[in-house]
Amino acid sequence: MLSAVLEQTLNGLMAGSVYVLVALGMVLIYGVMHVLNFAHGVLLMVGAYVCHFFFVRLTGSYPLSILLSAAVLALLGIALERAVFRPLQGNLRNQVIASLGLILVFENLVIALWGPNALQMKVAATAALVPLGEMRFSVQHLLVIAVTLAVVLVLFSFLKFSKFGTAIRATSQDRMAAMVVGIPVERVDWITFGLGTALAALGGALIGPLFIVFPQMGDAPMVKGLAGILLGGMGSVPGAVIGGFIIGIAESVSTVFLPTDYRDSVAFIVMVLILLVWPRGIFGVSVRGED
Amino acid sequence: MSAAVLEVSDLGASYGGRRILESVSLRVGASEIVTVIGHNGAGKSTLLKSVFNLIPWRSGAIRLQGRDILGLAPDRILAAGIAYVPQSRSVFPKLTVDENLRMGGYLLSDKALLAARIEKVRQLFPVLAERAHQLAGTLSGGEQRMLEIARALLMDPKLVMLDEPSIGLAPRMVEAVFQTVGMLRNQGKAVLMVEQNVRKALAASDRAYVMELGEIRLEDAAPALIGDPRVARLYMGRR
Amino acid sequence: MARIVLGIFLVLLSLMPAMAEKQPYLLHVLILCFLYAIPAVGLNLMLGYAGLVSLGHMAFAGVGAYTAAVLMVDGHWDFWLALLAGVLAAGVAGAAIGAICLRFRTHFFMIVTLAFGLMLYSVMNNWDEVTRGAAGFPGIPRPAPLGGFSFGPLPNFYYLALAAALAAFAVQWIVVRSDFGRVLAALRQDERLAQAKGVNTMLYKAAVFALGSAIAGLGGVLHVSFLRVAAPATFNLAESINAVLIVIVGGAGSLAGPALGALVFVGLPEYLRAAAEWRLVVFGVILVLIVLFAPQGLAGFVKRARA
Ligand SMILES: Nc1ncnc2c1ncn2[C@@H]1O[C@H](COP(=O)(O)OP(=O)(O)O)[C@@H](O)[C@H]1O
Ligand SMILES: [Mg+2]
Repeated sequence: MLSAVLEQTLNGLMAGSVYVLVALGMVLIYGVMHVLNFAHGVLLMVGAYVCHFFFVRLTGSYPLSILLSAAVLALLGIALERAVFRPLQGNLRNQVIASLGLILVFENLVIALWGPNALQMKVAATAALVPLGEMRFSVQHLLVIAVTLAVVLVLFSFLKFSKFGTAIRATSQDRMAAMVVGIPVERVDWITFGLGTALAALGGALIGPLFIVFPQMGDAPMVKGLAGILLGGMGSVPGAVIGGFIIGIAESVSTVFLPTDYRDSVAFIVMVLILLVWPRGIFGVSVRGED
Repeated sequence: MSAAVLEVSDLGASYGGRRILESVSLRVGASEIVTVIGHNGAGKSTLLKSVFNLIPWRSGAIRLQGRDILGLAPDRILAAGIAYVPQSRSVFPKLTVDENLRMGGYLLSDKALLAARIEKVRQLFPVLAERAHQLAGTLSGGEQRMLEIARALLMDPKLVMLDEPSIGLAPRMVEAVFQTVGMLRNQGKAVLMVEQNVRKALAASDRAYVMELGEIRLEDAAPALIGDPRVARLYMGRR
Repeated sequence: MARIVLGIFLVLLSLMPAMAEKQPYLLHVLILCFLYAIPAVGLNLMLGYAGLVSLGHMAFAGVGAYTAAVLMVDGHWDFWLALLAGVLAAGVAGAAIGAICLRFRTHFFMIVTLAFGLMLYSVMNNWDEVTRGAAGFPGIPRPAPLGGFSFGPLPNFYYLALAAALAAFAVQWIVVRSDFGRVLAALRQDERLAQAKGVNTMLYKAAVFALGSAIAGLGGVLHVSFLRVAAPATFNLAESINAVLIVIVGGAGSLAGPALGALVFVGLPEYLRAAAEWRLVVFGVILVLIVLFAPQGLAGFVKRARA
C-alpha cells in the first residue's frame, strides 16, 4: 500500500509536471492580457507533433528537437496574439470563443496533416530504467520532473530578478500603471504569449516519448492545468506550480483507492470545490473584479 | 513670461464618438505650478490623459518646449519629458517599493544613472528608503501617493502631471502632498495638476484654469482666483 | 417579406420527404441539422440573449438523453413519457448546476460550466451499470407509432425531428418576445442597472439556464433515439464547443441564428468534397474570423443584405 502510494506520488509528480508547464503558460498570459486561452492544451499537442517531426524526420536529436519545437510554438503563439487576441482585447467573451475556434483549427489541422492515429516517439531515455527502492522508473520519467523543476526555477528567477521579468509582473498587476511608467505593454503581451506557448510545447515534447503523440493529447492537460491554476489562486504564478503538482499527485494517488476510471474526475471535482468553498485558492490572489 | 514647457492649443478629445474636450488651450511655464479645477466630469482627467496620448481620438496641438508631441506614444512622451500620475492608484501593489521605483526608470538603459536617480529620489522621500523592500500594496494611501510621485521623477521629467493627488487622503497627508508639489518646483519641475480640493490647490499654485463641460472658462493667477467670487461660489462652497 | 420567406422555407421543409424520396441521404443530413439546431436554440437563449457562455451545454443534452434511455430500456417506459422525463431531468440539472455556476462571473463562470460538463461526461462514460459506459447505450427505441403513424422510416422520423425543432424555435420566439426575454436583454446590457431596478437577476439567469438545458435535453433524447444508441462522445467537451460554434456562426442573439449555424455546421460540409478534418479546420477559421470581423454571425449578414 505505502509503496503503491509512493509510486503513484512519483507518477503524479511526472503528470503534474506537465500540468505545471501548461498552467504556467496559461496563468502568465491570463495575468498580463487577461486572456483565458482554452486552446493552450491544443498548443501543447502541436508542440509534441512538431517535436516528433524534428526528431524523427529531421534531426534525430531529442534535445535539439525540444528546443526547435519550443521555438516554433513561440512563433505560433506570437502570431496568434497579434492576429487574434490583441484585436479582441477587452472583449473577454470573444477571446474565449476565438480560443475555442483555435482548438478546432489545430486539432483538425494535425489530423489532416498527420492522420488521426497516434505516433510513437522512441527516445533512449524511455527505455533506460533506474531503480528507486523496489520500483523502477524510466529515465524519461525523471527527466520530465527534473526539466520542469529547472524551468520553474529559471522562470522564477527571470520574473523576480530581471528587468523585463519585473515588467511582466508589473503589467499583470496594473496595465495602466505599466503604460504610465513607460513599459511597452504590447511587447510584454506578445513576449508573454510566446513564452507561454513555448512552455506548452515543452510539456508536449516531454510527455510525447512517455505516452503516445495523438491529436487529443492536450485536452486533459489543459483542463488539469486550469484546475491547478484555480487551486493555486487564479493569477498566481507560484500558485500555478504548486496547484499543478497537487492535481497531478492527487489524481495519481487516487488510483490506489479508487477505480482508475475516476482519475480524471479528481481534477474536475477539485475545480468545482475550490471555486465553491475557496475561490481565492492557496495563494489567495484577488482577481480584478471577478469574484 | 517664461518660455512654455507645455503648450496645449485647441485640443479636442472624444471617447468613442462622444466629444469630451472642446478646443482647450493652456500653457505651463518653466518651474510653474498650474492647476485645473472644475466639477466632476468636466474633462480634467481627460485633458491629462490626452496629453499623455491615452485617449483614442484627439485633435489640436500639444507642444513640449516647442516640440510637437501629439502623435508620440506614451513611452515616447515620457522619454521626451512629461511624467503622469493618474487619478486612480497606480503603484504595482505586489512589487516592492524599490521595484516600483526601478520600473519608474524602465526606459533608462544606463544602470548607473538609474541607481543614481533612485538614490536621489530616496533622499527626497526618506520614507520610501525606509520601506524599500516592503510590498507597495502594504503602504498607506499617502505613502502610495508619494511613491507614485517619486516614481514619476525617475525619468527626470520637465513636467509632472498630477491627477487629483490629494484625493482620498487623510488631512495630514493632503498637506504633505501639496508640500511635495512645492518641492517638485524647487527641483526645477513644472507641474500641471488637477484638483478638487480647490482652496489648498490654489494656495499651492501659481496659476489656474477653471474647466466646465470640456472647455476652459477662466484663467488667472491662483491668488486672484482664490478671491474670485464665482470660483468661491461654484467650487469652494462644498468643501 | 421575412414572413413570406419563412413560410416558403417551412413549406419546402415539410415537403422535403416527398421531394427527396430517392435521396434518403439528404433527409438524414437534414435530420442531423435539426438535432444540432435544437440544443443550439437552448444555448442561444443563454449565450445570445442572456450573455451566459456555457462550455458544458451538451452535457445537459446528455442528461436528458441518458435519462430517457434508462427509462425506456430498463424501465420500459413509453417514448413520449421518457422524452418528457428526459427534458425535465435536463431542465432540473440545468437549474441546479446553473444555480451553482451563476455564482461566478466571466471567466470563472465558463470554467465552472466546463468543469461540470466534464464531470457529467465522466459519469456517462464511467457509470457502467447505468449508462453502459464508454461503449455506449445500445438498443434505444424510436418512438412507438402514434395513431398508426410509425416513426421507424426515415421520412417519418424526419417529421418528428422537424416538429421538435420547430417547437424549440417557437419557444425561443415566445421567450424572446415575452417580458422574461426583455428582462434578459436588459440584464445582458447592464446587470447592475437591472439589479438597481429591483430585478432578481440570479433568478432570471438560473431560469434561462434551466430552460436552455431543458431544450438541450429535448435535442439529446431525439438524437439518441435517431441513432438508436447513446454514446458519451455525443455529449463531450468537443460537442459543447461545437454548440458554441453553431450559435456564434449562426449569429448569437438572433432568432434564426441556431438554424443557420446548424445548417452550415452539419449541412454544408456533407456536400463539400473535403476530408472531415479539413472541414473542421475551415469551420474553426470561420469561427475566429466571425468573432474578429462579424460578431453578428451569418444572421447579421442576412440582415445587412436585406437592409
Ligand atoms: N473611458 C471612458 N469612456 C467614455 N467616456 C468617458 C471615459 N472616461 C471618462 N468619460 C467621460 O468623459 C467625461 C469627462 O470625464 P473626466 O475627464 O474623467 O472628468 P473629470 O476628471 O473632470 O472628473 C465624463 O462625462 C465621463 O463620463
Ligand atoms: Mg478625474
